[in-house]
Amino acid sequence: MSATLTPGTLRGVKPATATRPVEKRWERLAPYGYVAPFYVLFLVFGLFPLLFTFYVALFDWNPIGDKTFVGLENFRLLAEDPRFWNALRNTFSIWIISTVPQLIIALILAQVLNSAFLRFANFFRMAMLLPYITSVAATAIVFAQIFNRDYGLLNWFLELLGFEHIDFMSSAAGSHVLISVMVIWRWFGYNTLLYLASLQAVPRDLYEAAAVDGAGPVKQFFHITLPSLRPVIVFTVIMSTIGGLQIFTEPLLLSNGTLTCGTARQCQTLSLFLFEQGFGSFKFGYGSAVGVALFAIIVVVAFVNFLLSSRLGRKG
Amino acid sequence: MQNKLSAPQSATSRVLSTSLSRRRALALSALAGGTALTASACSSGGSSGSSDPNTFEFWSFTGINQKDSVEEYKKLAPDVTVKLTEVGNAQETAQGLTTALAGGKVPDLVLIQAGDLPKFMKNPGNFVDLTTLGADDIQDDYVDWVMAQATAKSGEIIGIPTDVGGMGVAYRTDLMAAAGLPTNRDEVSALWPTWQDFIATGQRYTQATGNAFIDNAATTVFLQAVSQGEEQYYSADGDVVYDTNPIVRESFDLGLAAIAAGITAKLESFTDGWNAGMAKGAFAAVAAPSWMLGSIRSAAPDTEGKWDIAVIPGGSGNWGGSYLAIPARAANPQAAWKYITTMQSPEQQLQHFIDAGSLPTTPVNYDKPELVDHTDPFFGGAPTGKIFTQAVLGLEPFVNGEYNTEISTELLNALNGVEGDGAPADAAWDTATKNIKTAIGA
Repeated sequence: MSATLTPGTLRGVKPATATRPVEKRWERLAPYGYVAPFYVLFLVFGLFPLLFTFYVALFDWNPIGDKTFVGLENFRLLAEDPRFWNALRNTFSIWIISTVPQLIIALILAQVLNSAFLRFANFFRMAMLLPYITSVAATAIVFAQIFNRDYGLLNWFLELLGFEHIDFMSSAAGSHVLISVMVIWRWFGYNTLLYLASLQAVPRDLYEAAAVDGAGPVKQFFHITLPSLRPVIVFTVIMSTIGGLQIFTEPLLLSNGTLTCGTARQCQTLSLFLFEQGFGSFKFGYGSAVGVALFAIIVVVAFVNFLLSSRLGRKG
Repeated sequence: MQNKLSAPQSATSRVLSTSLSRRRALALSALAGGTALTASACSSGGSSGSSDPNTFEFWSFTGINQKDSVEEYKKLAPDVTVKLTEVGNAQETAQGLTTALAGGKVPDLVLIQAGDLPKFMKNPGNFVDLTTLGADDIQDDYVDWVMAQATAKSGEIIGIPTDVGGMGVAYRTDLMAAAGLPTNRDEVSALWPTWQDFIATGQRYTQATGNAFIDNAATTVFLQAVSQGEEQYYSADGDVVYDTNPIVRESFDLGLAAIAAGITAKLESFTDGWNAGMAKGAFAAVAAPSWMLGSIRSAAPDTEGKWDIAVIPGGSGNWGGSYLAIPARAANPQAAWKYITTMQSPEQQLQHFIDAGSLPTTPVNYDKPELVDHTDPFFGGAPTGKIFTQAVLGLEPFVNGEYNTEISTELLNALNGVEGDGAPADAAWDTATKNIKTAIGA
């Protein structure tokens, strides 16, 4: 760093060594070298597959058979495919049911954990992360034990209380709620900690000043907390969008591993549909078209989210 | 024995091949990201490089205990090295093979499950035509319709069958007795010469006990009834005929009839509830191919001796089985072929049945005393070898096609929807055919 600053300050003193230009060039290039591993890996494992997916989507591509160029035919079929629209609806439904409550819960919990009066604060902060570090498979097994139609814990209690058993996975609404509960359970702690870290960076004197001016906790929350958290809220909203729209493991595990996720595809998400087409039916081209559509949807939704959440708390 | 038979996951994919177990699903989510890469990243690797004629690579799946066969082969051919890889369960192995065929390093020998075979049969050029290695001479050793499944229209033989899934009905003798029904396996078999009789027996049981008679209509009634057809989803010429073939429709209606009769426990096969229901006696009978005995054994270990096996309504049926195939780009096809001819000879298949319980595909063994006299104490001493091989012999060759799995999945889903999710029964057939049309575009 200092080398880049020297020319101006040391203009009068001519450097004596001949190696200097070489060193300079090396020092100019060195940072690129430091970040290169990431970009090389990204190129190989990120960008290339991404572009290759766009290419495959233009073909009727059987991985072990014929590959015929069909142009945009896959996308035309996709637009007419009721399974695609069904998967899209399911994906959005699960994403909204899981993301909105999750972020609200996380915000409230972060506020509580940030409270100066909380005892064992570190213990609770650590406990928040437990669901996040538990393997999805283990979580799914426990959830299945709780929500199983015939032998689940919840239904056992319902029966004790004289209610009918609930078969969550048999209906669209039930399965979406169940999947969302699992997503919320897994991710709320992660978001809580992000919010908490941000909250702790908000200067205390802001709150004190507000209190002196007569602002209650609610006003403080909306006029100090929310605006201060705006960057991290934008971040969590976008991350939840990317994750939520690609949801795959939870519906797959909760429906006993059926790629259709239920007899009427009631909880089949876009990624499940993608996988079913690509690897179940060997339609790589069609599966890639689903992938491209998913990519476009995520870009649009993430951008809209960014616009909306950056306005959050700005007014007033 | 235990190992070969306790294969609930591989069982799932025999026919319900879009069905995956939980453990599998995790691997899948990793695979979802990984496979696409492997497909493109490995496209340079042509063959496995080593051309040592005494070494070959063998991909198998878990739960079928190929290790035993490989160990046995080492005794017979001590100078040969077999590099056995259990890629995953049957479906993962087929997916791995797909990726490898698409442009990766292929094994010299691979085990493919019957349910996955039609997809590979569509492009026989991916595999060595075994007739070039001498399959013509041995194909008559195997059950004709099983062999026909692995023979392409143009005559190439892609695989040699290692085992079949002959059908029976496993039933609980104690529960039958409690319902006032016979318990002796011959008398029970006589109760249901046809599927209508089977459903009627179920009604008697349900009236007497108030409990469900079978696990679900989709796999225990529909799937078995349709597999008895000489023509199933495809015509002899390879045309898609599921919507016009009366056998498919009749089997579907039998499934609906079983649901309407109220004799089903609404437990989809291979789910947690199904396993739990098995242990708790939630149903008295289940259609059981030879390999499912292990699933029953492991799901309900406390019911030892309370089961028996009767003949399936209609008398014959098959569910599952596997084939050995050699990919076209294999480095050492000769060594792989030698393994096939040695280990799948009628003598070795009989030995494998004795050691591991795998049902031979070679009819010459079906009257051998070692097979006929084999009994299973867990199932009340039922002569399993005899019952299951009889079911296999009753079948005629039929034509499978590329979209067998898709067609079957939609039909099963429609029935499960009516049974478990309250979908209207009168619309079920239309729903299924509409979904199949969407799925396969025909």
